[in-house]
Amino acid sequence: MKANGIGGAAQSPALAAWLAIVGLILVVAVPFGAVVLQGIFPNLGQGSFAGPFSSLFATLADSALIGMAGNTLLLGGCVVLASAVVAVPLGVFRALYRIPYAPFWDVVLLVPFMIPPYIATLGWIMTLQPRGYLQQLVGFNLAPFLFSLFGMTLVMAFNTFPVVYFAVSRTVEAVGSRYADVGRVFGATPARAFWRITLPLSAPGLAASLMLVFAAAIEEYGTPAALGRRAGFQVLVTGIDLRITDWPIDLPGAAILSLLLVAMSLVTFLAQRWILSRRSYQTVGGKPTAKDKRPLGALKVPVMIAFAVVAFLATGVPLLAILATALSRTISGGLSLGNLSLNNFILVFGNSAGAVGALVNSFSLGIATALITGLIGVTAAYTVVKTRMRGRMTIDVMTILPNALPGIVVAVGLILAWNMPWLPATPYNTGFILLLAYCCILLPQPVRYTTAAFQQIGDNLEAAARVFGASGITAFRRILLPLVFPSLASAMLLVFALASRELVASVVVAPVGMQTIATFIWRQFEQGSIGLGMAMAFIAIVITTLLPLLLLTLLRRSGLVAE
Amino acid sequence: MLKSLKNITFGVVAAALTAGVAHADVTVYTAGPQSLIDKLSAGFTKQTGIKVNVFQATTGKVMARIEAEAANPVVDVLVSASWDTATDFAKRGWLVKYSSPNAAKVPDFLKTDSAVAQGISALGIAWNTKSGTPKPTEWADLTKKEYKDLVNIPDPAQSGSSFELTAALAGQDNFKLFNDLKANGAIIAGANADALNPVLQGAKAAVFGAVDYITLAAKAKGESIDVIFPASGTVIAPRPAMILNWSKNQDDAKKFIDYMLSDEGQKAVADEMLMPARTDIPANRPLISDLKLLKYDTAAVYGKRKETLAEITKIYGGK
Repeated sequence: MKANGIGGAAQSPALAAWLAIVGLILVVAVPFGAVVLQGIFPNLGQGSFAGPFSSLFATLADSALIGMAGNTLLLGGCVVLASAVVAVPLGVFRALYRIPYAPFWDVVLLVPFMIPPYIATLGWIMTLQPRGYLQQLVGFNLAPFLFSLFGMTLVMAFNTFPVVYFAVSRTVEAVGSRYADVGRVFGATPARAFWRITLPLSAPGLAASLMLVFAAAIEEYGTPAALGRRAGFQVLVTGIDLRITDWPIDLPGAAILSLLLVAMSLVTFLAQRWILSRRSYQTVGGKPTAKDKRPLGALKVPVMIAFAVVAFLATGVPLLAILATALSRTISGGLSLGNLSLNNFILVFGNSAGAVGALVNSFSLGIATALITGLIGVTAAYTVVKTRMRGRMTIDVMTILPNALPGIVVAVGLILAWNMPWLPATPYNTGFILLLAYCCILLPQPVRYTTAAFQQIGDNLEAAARVFGASGITAFRRILLPLVFPSLASAMLLVFALASRELVASVVVAPVGMQTIATFIWRQFEQGSIGLGMAMAFIAIVITTLLPLLLLTLLRRSGLVAE
Repeated sequence: MLKSLKNITFGVVAAALTAGVAHADVTVYTAGPQSLIDKLSAGFTKQTGIKVNVFQATTGKVMARIEAEAANPVVDVLVSASWDTATDFAKRGWLVKYSSPNAAKVPDFLKTDSAVAQGISALGIAWNTKSGTPKPTEWADLTKKEYKDLVNIPDPAQSGSSFELTAALAGQDNFKLFNDLKANGAIIAGANADALNPVLQGAKAAVFGAVDYITLAAKAKGESIDVIFPASGTVIAPRPAMILNWSKNQDDAKKFIDYMLSDEGQKAVADEMLMPARTDIPANRPLISDLKLLKYDTAAVYGKRKETLAEITKIYGGK
C-alpha cells in the first residue's frame, strides 16, 4: 500500500512543504519562541538577556503548582470523558442510521460551538443560581451542582462535545457499513461488527477530536475562573492569568506555567500518534461506497429523545438564558412581561459604544483566519501524512504546539516578538497582530481535521493519478484536495466561529482603538451592562451560525461538497 | 483553488485591517470605563484637533501590556484604577513631573508631582432592595443571620481598592470580621463585576465592598440596588492619571491631562457616577466630604500585601 514517492518529480510535496514551513514559522514559531525565551530570560521585555533561568526554580518550587497541575489534568480528563459519553453514541447513530430531520439536528448541535464558553457559563449561572431563571420558573435552584467539578465538567462538555459529534459522524460515515457488513457475512453479531470493525476504523477521527477537546479543556479560562474559583478549584490557566494581571507582573512565571500546559498537550498528542501508527486506517479507496443508511426501527423514540435532551441542554438552555437577559430591561426585574424591552438590541444596532464596528472587525478577522489556517493546515497535513520528507515530524509537532498555549500567553509572546525596537516594520498595533494571534491559537483545528482525512485516503489514489501522467500538483488538486475538502471546510468554519469570538488574547493584544465582539461584550460586563453584552452575544451567535450554513449551501450547489 | 483562496485572503485582510493603524498624537491606556474615555477623547479632539488612541482594559491587563511592551513602549498617558500604580511607577522613575494649571482645585492628597487623580470611586455595600433582607448600615451587619449565605466579597487579589478595604478592616480587628463573614457563608466571588451580578439577580443580597460608581450607574438604569457607605468608614480609590517619560508627545499628553481636569472633562467624570477630582465640580452622588474614611498607612498595607492575601485565602479556603 505504501507507494508514495512515485516518479522523480516531487514539486508538489516540496511546494506544499515550503508553504507549510513558512506559514508555521510566522504563525507558531515566532510567538512560541518568544514565550520560551521569556521563560528563560526574565528581563526579555526590557530587551535584556540577564539572569537566565533565575525564575524557573522559583516558579516550579511554588507549592500550589502540583495542585493546579493535578486539577488541570483532572478537569481535562473529565471533560473528555463527558464529551465522549454524550457525543459518540449520537455521532454513530447519525452516521449509520436514517435520523429523522438529520440536517436540523446537525445545525442545533453546531450552535454550542458558536456560543462563547464564558457566555454559556454566565448563562448557566444566571439560570441555576438562587433566584435564577430556573427558580423563577419552577421554584428551585441547582447552584450546589453548578459550582463544583461536576458542574464545570458538564458546562464545558456541552460546549466542546460537537467537536467529537461531528468528527465521529463524518468518519464513521466515511468508513460506512461496508466493512462491518463483511464482518456480518462472516458471522459477527451487529454489536461485535461495530466494536471490532467500524469503531476501530474510525479511530483517527475519534482520537483527533478527543485530543482537541482535552487541549481545549486544559486551556479554557472563562469557565474555571467563573465556576471553579468558588469551589476552590484552581487550574493552571487561572494561575497563569493571575501571574499576568496581578501587579507586579510575573511574565516569566506565566511563560513557564504555559510551557507546562503545552507539555501536557504534547503528551496526549504523542499518545494519539502512537495509537494511530500501529495500523492502517485507510478506508477511502477507489471503490464506490453505498450511502444507504439503515432505518432506526424500534430505536426511533429513545434515539430521538436522546438527541432532543442533548440539544436542549447544550443549545437551548444557554441560548434562552442569553436571550432572556438581553430582553430584560433590568436584571433585578427578572422574568416578567413588564420587564421586557428591546432596548439592548436597539443600542447594539444603533452602534452604541462601537458595536457595529466590533461586529465587522470580528467577522473580517474570522474569515481571514479561516482562509489562512486552512491553507497552512492542508499543506502541513499533506506534508506530514503523504510525503516522506525529513523533518515532517517537526512540522507535525509545530502544528500541535499552540493547542495548549493559553490565549493570553500567545498575546504576550506576540507583543514580545513584534514590538522589538529594531524591527523596520511590524504588525503590532495594527489589526494584523490579532490575525496572527487567531491563526496561532486556531491552527491546530484545520491541521488535525485534514490530517485525519488524509490518513483515510489510500496512497494508491494519488499513485494512480501519477501513473496516468498527472503532475504532483494536479494529483493534489484534482484527487486529494476534493477528498479532504469536506473535513477542511468544516474545520475552517469552526475556525471562523472560534476566531470571531476569541476573548483572552484579544483583550491584551488588540490594537489601540480596535474592538472585537468579545472585547465589546467583556467591557459591557465589566461596567455592569450585562443585558447589552448579552444582546451583542446573541446577535453574534446568530450570525456565526447562519453565515457558515449559507456558505455550505452555496458550496453544495456548486458541487464542491457532497451532501 | 489555492490561488483563489490566497486572493480572497489578501483582499479580506487588507480591507479588514486598516482600522488599527496608529497615527494618533496621544495614546492613552486606561483602566477606567470605556464610555468615559470615549467622551474625554472626543471632547479633547474637538477642542485641540489632536487625535487620541485608546486602549481600555482592567488595571491588570493594562499593566501586562505595558510590561510586555517595555522594550518599545507606545503609551503616552496612563489612567490606572489603583493609586498604587502611580507610587510604583514614580519609584521606577517612569513618570514625567507635571502640575496641570487645572489641578489647582484638586485636593493635595489626590495629586503628586507626577500624578493627579482623574476621579475617585469609593467602596460601599451594594444591597439589593428587593432581597427581603433588612437594609444594612454597617460592615458588621453582614455577619448577621439575615444575610446567611447571601454576601459576595470581590476578590482582593484582583482589585486594588478591594484589597485596601480588606487590609484596613482586617488591621482593625485582626481578621475577626472576615472570619465572622466566612462563618456566615460569605464567599469571595471574582472581580468587581462578577461579585455584583448575582446581587442584581437576587442570588445574593449584598456585595461587601462594591465599587460605587458601577452600582450607582446600575441604579440609575432602574436596577433595584442601592449603595450604602458605612458610618464607621470606608476606603476610596483615586484613579491616577500620569504621563510616561518615554512619551514622544509629552506636550500633547500634558494638554490631555489639562482637558481631563477642565470643567468639561470633570463633568464627564461626574456623569459616570465617579467623584470628580476637583472639589468645585458638582456631582449627583455622595462626595468625599460626605464619607468617613478609614485610617490606615498605605505603604505599610502594601508592604504586607502577600501576608494579607494569604490570610484571606486561608480563611476562604482557596487551594
